[in-house]
Amino acid sequence: MHRLSGFTGVKALIAKVLFMAVVDAFLIWMFLAAVSKHSGVIQLVTAIIFLIVNYVYFAKKPVPFKFLTPGLILMVLFILIPVIYTITMSAFNFQTGNEVSKDQAITALLANGLQPDANNTNYDMVLGSKGGVMTALLTDTQTKKSFIGNNSSVVALAPGSFTANTNGDAVSAPGFTPYTADQAANLGDEINALKMPLPGGVGLIEPQTETSASLFTEEYTYNSKADTLTNTSTGLVYKDNGDGNFELSSSPHTKLYPGWKAFNGFSNYLHLLDNPEVRGPFIGVFIWTFCFSIITVLMMFAVGLLLAIILDQKIALKRFYRSILILPYAIPSLMSILIWRGMFQTQYGAVNTLFHTHIDFMDSPWFAKGIVLIVNLWLGFPYFYLISSGALQAVPAELSEAASIDGANPAQILRRIKLPLVLQILSPLLIASFAFNFNNFNLIYLLTGGGPTDVLHGKFAGGTDILITYTYKTAFNGNHQDFGMASAISMVIFVIIGLISLWSIRRANVLDNNS
Amino acid sequence: MKTQSSKKPRKPLTKGRIFSHLFVWVLILFTVFPIYIVIESSFNTTGLLSTNSFIPHGISLSNFRILFHDPAVPFSHWMLNSFILATANSIISVFVGAAAAFAFSRMKFRGRKSGLQALLLVQVFPSFLAIAAIYVMMERIYTVFPSFGLGSMGGLLLIYLGGSMGVNVWLLRGYINTIPMELDEAARIDGASTTQIYWLIFFPLAAPVLAVTALLTFIGTFNEFILASIFLTNVGQRTVAVGLESFVGAALGQNWGPFAAGSILASIPLVALFLSLQRFIIGGLTQGATKG
Repeated sequence: MHRLSGFTGVKALIAKVLFMAVVDAFLIWMFLAAVSKHSGVIQLVTAIIFLIVNYVYFAKKPVPFKFLTPGLILMVLFILIPVIYTITMSAFNFQTGNEVSKDQAITALLANGLQPDANNTNYDMVLGSKGGVMTALLTDTQTKKSFIGNNSSVVALAPGSFTANTNGDAVSAPGFTPYTADQAANLGDEINALKMPLPGGVGLIEPQTETSASLFTEEYTYNSKADTLTNTSTGLVYKDNGDGNFELSSSPHTKLYPGWKAFNGFSNYLHLLDNPEVRGPFIGVFIWTFCFSIITVLMMFAVGLLLAIILDQKIALKRFYRSILILPYAIPSLMSILIWRGMFQTQYGAVNTLFHTHIDFMDSPWFAKGIVLIVNLWLGFPYFYLISSGALQAVPAELSEAASIDGANPAQILRRIKLPLVLQILSPLLIASFAFNFNNFNLIYLLTGGGPTDVLHGKFAGGTDILITYTYKTAFNGNHQDFGMASAISMVIFVIIGLISLWSIRRANVLDNNS
Repeated sequence: MKTQSSKKPRKPLTKGRIFSHLFVWVLILFTVFPIYIVIESSFNTTGLLSTNSFIPHGISLSNFRILFHDPAVPFSHWMLNSFILATANSIISVFVGAAAAFAFSRMKFRGRKSGLQALLLVQVFPSFLAIAAIYVMMERIYTVFPSFGLGSMGGLLLIYLGGSMGVNVWLLRGYINTIPMELDEAARIDGASTTQIYWLIFFPLAAPVLAVTALLTFIGTFNEFILASIFLTNVGQRTVAVGLESFVGAALGQNWGPFAAGSILASIPLVALFLSLQRFIIGGLTQGATKG
């Protein structure tokens, strides 16, 4: 059937080869760049795209894929992969305080647990090497006792076994070669990493400058076999709780921070249902999201349909009305939303000025909810007017004529014949609009910011927050960012919207009525 | 409000007709109110979205001057960025999307039905539901190709393209289904290849619909706020949406005057575009309505 498919003619072939040469060159350049930056994932992705593109456009067979491939690549890279990553994140404890790997968390815990010892012991230090190992000669500034130390141990130097300067500081010892200033300058990282443990685990001596060091005591020691942290002063043992933190086995919820990104299965989803702190706001937001999307669509549809019915009649100035009334649909909605926000300001807002009131609209959950609905009505009724009037005109004239011959008056024709048909024609668009408003981020975020928010009681779910703005706040809220939970809510939204769309499409049978 | 029909006798003012006119006029006042306010405040120097009297005291162009002379608000850059992003996104996504929609509408291949169902799910998934994931991904891409990673217009364009693909393929497929099949069948009998059918027969026929889809994508991109505000942090790189928001967002305080002036300038091209293509857009909307 596809005998003649593919490009034909020499010119077309040359054009195709040239175009593919450019694409291939670009992909190869990307691949090499990825190799030089050691980015395995990007290498893999570019290589796969290279193979697919060349196969699809040079082989004869997969004609549909010659048309599908560019779109598929974009969708896979920028929708499918992020979605899969979102699903993955939703199964992790990934929030402020649990952002790094376990190894990094342990390193940080040990480093944070280091404290200057009680006597604030300081040392004068001379850095050098002994036997090829970075070594320090240390002299206690108070007691004038001298030590020699490296990354594995610190040993006291017996008097006379070293050379001291006039201050009594050890400056050289047998086998020890001090660094020159240049050498020391080049070894900055190694010097910073130098930790000299005192015998018996009493503490660590760490360089503070190139010529001084201090004694630190360790709050925790890590036992890699048992995978526990032990508090050196209290002897308490902290265990890996399997959810990204070390915690006391005797009293859970005494967690050590930082924790790490840990796989926690469905915990994020379960928290939405069983953790009162999470569930309370989530359920509130969930209900409002549904109420908002349903009420706003009904309001816009009612006004739009009524307008369409009125303007469908012979009415004076119809064209003039029409061109004014669709303006809100033509003006970029982002700007309209912000304008409305300004108009509802308490102090100088146009609404308060108009009615000579002084209402703090954005401070009352009910006013704020009303405003969201009114502003969205302003933004959306022209669209509903346009589709309603299209649908009204799509009702076959014969139906109305037949009805009027049977003695029906215009009102009856409208109510009994036209409206049911219009409703049937428009129901897929009503559902689509519901789905759109379910995720109407711009409206809520720019108009009310989700507020009013009871910050004093530590809540960040506001009176007008819908699921998607709540997700955004959960993921990017200033103080506490919870990517795991945000991803879980994202998935809940996705499932709801996906189910609604599938249901509506099943209803409309769109998938079946085309061959 | 006088009817000027001289040909027909005036209809009596029934209750229904009074209600109709009342309803329309209330709606018109509601529609015009914010538009009037924004025009008025753009010529006003108080910096507020209101006045005491609602009647302009005088016309000042200082708000417009700020937009073009204050180096801290590179308004013309913002407009340019928005236009580049929106144009590139609408043209590329319609070209790529039309090809995919053509395949879904006209060809039989394995996985077509499940592909359509997947597409249906994808097109209701707003890209920023996965915003954290996209952010991490773009951060990674930045280390290898800075011009397609975080903070670059190229990277943002790629995300927009991915995001608009689902909707556009879905919409275009609906339109393409309404173009009669007989034409391509006739061409095929005459020996045309699929590619030739696509470019020579289908593409010209679908041109109006493609233009409408491109326009809707353009408007959508122009209005996009959150991805742009997260990805383009540099002041000169902002889109006009993010830039204007910054006038009235928390950071800069409440500069409603320049905001109003900027909103008007940014809206004019879009409103003009919309009104001039109105017929096609409304046709497209109702077609979408009647054909499901």
